Amino acid sequence: MVLLQPDPFLNELTSMFERSTETGSVWVTLKRSSLKSKVQRNKLKTAQQPIEYRCLIRATNAKKTISTSVGVKDHQRFQASYATILKAHMAALKKRERKDRKKAVEDKKESGSKKPKRA
Amino acid sequence: MVYITSWDEFVERTVQLFRADPESTRYCMKYRHCDGKLVLKVTDNKECLKFKTDQAQDAKKMEKLNNIFFTLMARGPDVDISEISGKEQIEAQPAKKGRGRKQ
Repeated sequence: MVLLQPDPFLNELTSMFERSTETGSVWVTLKRSSLKSKVQRNKLKTAQQPIEYRCLIRATNAKKTISTSVGVKDHQRFQASYATILKAHMAALKKRERKDRKKAVEDKKESGSKKPKRA
Repeated sequence: MVYITSWDEFVERTVQLFRADPESTRYCMKYRHCDGKLVLKVTDNKECLKFKTDQAQDAKKMEKLNNIFFTLMARGPDVDISEISGKEQIEAQPAKKGRGRKQ
């Protein structure tokens, strides 16, 4: 596991997507983490010091794993770049076709009728 | 473990799951280009919620869920996400109702 800075991580993620176009998958996991061991966390707890949490991001293509973390200050910039990469590389998903449109309308009706229940 | 079919239900339940146990809940996305498939999974090691799709329009919805989780995880589980999730509902709901009920 390599812990990278956010920008090198995004570059590496891009090449993972590019290398997995013909075969293989890419996994990306988000997790709230303090990036500290349990022992360290317990020490902070007993000292009654606040534990600082960040958002840990891990990506793998089954051969290689990379990771990075973002905090309160930089998560918005990161999530914007991350969204751009996803948009650029998720080109294999189906666009809505005319045939599907009927289905889509029916789905919408269903979800529309469900909503008032929740409210 | 069953896939959740309704996107709105998936969003609601995953956020609930995270808020119940922020430290052990993770959000995982799997993308398989050769099959054109996308699977989203949120689990706290006890309960597992999954959503599967092959539609490009769901990738757009996922972007909003990504934003929700980035915010929740970086800023903390008590942060107000109604602005992030609220936008999509305001955009999406009137259109759906309009189409569904006028016919």
